[in-house]
Amino acid sequence: MDSNLTQLWDTCLGIIQPQITKATFNTWFNNTGISKEEEGIIYISVPNEFAREWLMTKFNKIILKAIVDNASHVRAIEFVISRLPTQTIIPSNNLFSAPTGQPSTLPLENVYINRDDNLNPRYTFSNFVVGPFNELAYSAAQSVVKRPQHAYNPLFIYGASGLGKTHLVQAIGNEIKSSFPEKRVLYTSLEKFMSEYVSSVQNNRQQAFQDKYRKFDVLIVDDIQFIAGKEGTQNALFSIFNVLHEQNKHIIFSSDKHPNHIIGLEDRLKTRFNAGMTLDIQEPDFESRLAIIKEKSFQLQFPIENEVLSYVASAVTGSIRELEGVLNVITMHSNLKEKPISLAEVKVLIKNNVRPKKIISIDTVVKLVSDYYNLDERVIYEKTRRKEIVRARQIIMFVLREDFNESYPSIGAKLGGKDHTTVIHSYEKIKGELVNDPHLMKELEDIRILFK
Amino acid sequence: MNITCTTEKLKNAVSLAERMTGKALTLPTLHAILLTATGKSIKIRATNLNLGIEIEVPATIEVEGSVLVKGEVLANVCNHLSDATEVRLTLDHDNLTIQTPQHTTVIKCLPSDEFPTLPVVEGDHIDIKTSVLQEGIRSVYFCAAITDIKPEIASIFIYSEENTLCFVATDSFRLAEKKIHVKAVPEISKILIPFKNVADILRVLDVAPETVRIIYSRNQIAFLGNGLYLTSRLIDGGFPPYQLIIPKETLTKVVLLKQELLNTLRLSTIFADKFFQVAFSIPEDKKNITLSSKNSDVGSSVSNVSAAIEGAPIAVEFNLKYFLDVFQALSGDSVVISFTQPNKPIVVQSVSDTSFLYLLMPTNR
Repeated sequence: MDSNLTQLWDTCLGIIQPQITKATFNTWFNNTGISKEEEGIIYISVPNEFAREWLMTKFNKIILKAIVDNASHVRAIEFVISRLPTQTIIPSNNLFSAPTGQPSTLPLENVYINRDDNLNPRYTFSNFVVGPFNELAYSAAQSVVKRPQHAYNPLFIYGASGLGKTHLVQAIGNEIKSSFPEKRVLYTSLEKFMSEYVSSVQNNRQQAFQDKYRKFDVLIVDDIQFIAGKEGTQNALFSIFNVLHEQNKHIIFSSDKHPNHIIGLEDRLKTRFNAGMTLDIQEPDFESRLAIIKEKSFQLQFPIENEVLSYVASAVTGSIRELEGVLNVITMHSNLKEKPISLAEVKVLIKNNVRPKKIISIDTVVKLVSDYYNLDERVIYEKTRRKEIVRARQIIMFVLREDFNESYPSIGAKLGGKDHTTVIHSYEKIKGELVNDPHLMKELEDIRILFK
Repeated sequence: MNITCTTEKLKNAVSLAERMTGKALTLPTLHAILLTATGKSIKIRATNLNLGIEIEVPATIEVEGSVLVKGEVLANVCNHLSDATEVRLTLDHDNLTIQTPQHTTVIKCLPSDEFPTLPVVEGDHIDIKTSVLQEGIRSVYFCAAITDIKPEIASIFIYSEENTLCFVATDSFRLAEKKIHVKAVPEISKILIPFKNVADILRVLDVAPETVRIIYSRNQIAFLGNGLYLTSRLIDGGFPPYQLIIPKETLTKVVLLKQELLNTLRLSTIFADKFFQVAFSIPEDKKNITLSSKNSDVGSSVSNVSAAIEGAPIAVEFNLKYFLDVFQALSGDSVVISFTQPNKPIVVQSVSDTSFLYLLMPTNR
């Protein structure tokens, strides 16, 4: 609760208290508070349904009056039932520390997934590392949690595996749940959605299936790319999507590909997925990887020397999941040896996780690009000025310079003895066009994927 | 208010309601029972802000009205009215007169506008056989945690799975699960009934009609049927994913006669140490299972129980109380106990009825 609201509520209680008996006050106003204020509506949190019912019927007027007297912009009040206070998590090692003879406890996990909404409470924004690679997606997510059902609907987040998509979409769910307890949130993976759909078809309960999904205010579907080619599931999702969207319910998807690149996805779904905001998460840069690994080692409560951290961040490129794996290996080894691990040991340990820099020859670049444009690679080297060949050649030059840092003269020499000024011209031309030509940008993006 | 109704029905309704008055609460209004006479019935309402109940009793109403009286007084009076089949209730200013041919009592009233309304639950509804609810809850509720430190396990967890209703309770030392096959049960993702309220709910279900309707939301549940409205707070939390800890493989499987095991355990209790430990072991010849307990002040006992044994020899200790608890929920003549690793829970089930499952942790060595 923010401190202004706490103060407002204290003032109101001060006004209300003398108007009623002490016992009445203690019975009904104990454990109440203001949970939030939104668009002139004050949300008063109460401990249970009994209190809500009675405060609403009996004390609505005097509470509203007390609040309006102190905060004139307030138009209305609503009562919400406060959730359980979050519990401190006790590490479950009591299995071994309990005295002999005492019954030991069942290994029930302390942190678990909520059955109501499938959200894992561990995924929050507070442990989400933001860097240039995901800041767009992050800020879109922030707008969504501030005003769900308004901004960016549907929100479509895509990016390669292990970059934090699930963390981000679950964090959105958790955040909405905590700031808008009245909203019904559901997180599901497409696989789960699909298997539920299939069993609803088997049991002839499709209507119940549809009704179940239609009642949520926020629906989060993870790994939507698996819907490709599943026509029945696509139909089911299509109608759920339409109903939810019509009622202004928020829908969030994550995928490893842009909707337009999911092969076997019906056009009517593609256009719908693209209707809100489609954003990608890139691979993290070095600084972000360092920040992530620091955060993770902090979460594990396992301090690691900075030198080791920065080595790991520079050596393990690519997905965050790999970073986590490496960190786990390091933690396990130092636990085993009961001493902090040295840089040299780390280097040996993670040699399998380090990807060698991919070396790609100019010939391969030429081959891949000409294949992409459906040209014979030989024509690139020929002295021809046919428009489509010139274009492809320019793009090859651009890519070689931009991505592989080849020198202008060596690019020229390799591509049929062109002068280095020709190469510079091509490079600048493509670079200039890139700014205003989304098609070209798209093409380059696709080509770069081919290099991986 | 001026009404007549059957003494017996009034008495039963009042005694149920009286149990749910908020005796521990500071607000005197909540110690009371509200009687409201309208139409063709009198409604009896009480709440302790954890549970709320309203029972309709058919009555002949001459003058409608409502009155709030002290629950304890009203219940005591009703208990002593067995002389007549009918009773007349009349309200005159602040006095409620309860009259049978033999007795006339006058009870002081409280102002009735201070009495809270019961929450009206809005949410999904299910019609369910009362006996299914009772059986499910009774099979597991002895396992629920009784302290409020972890409210989500100080509760009975109810959910549905295909055509099965599942009831689960655990206090983190043991766990009971009962699955009852029900035709066309609607999807229930989670109902967490606070353990504190379970006994009262069971008592009301005893007088409920054959089928009750349940309406539930995240925080509140209501049971409806035949003029009865019972509402309880629900726990708004997540039950641990207990399915994960049910052992998948078995190292040793033992089948015993239930009564024989129970008698032996009771004998062991006499010599139990301060931790109520009993040791289970299977000797190499695998014909018997040996139960032993030892108390340095009292003495010791060693018993052999004949059993059909499959798998490796074992030696583990259990808390006797926790072991004895399961017998109230086990049906059939014989029991199957499945052991896995020494520090993993064991599974106790009836041989003939696998719908009930009990997980028990061994004690520390």
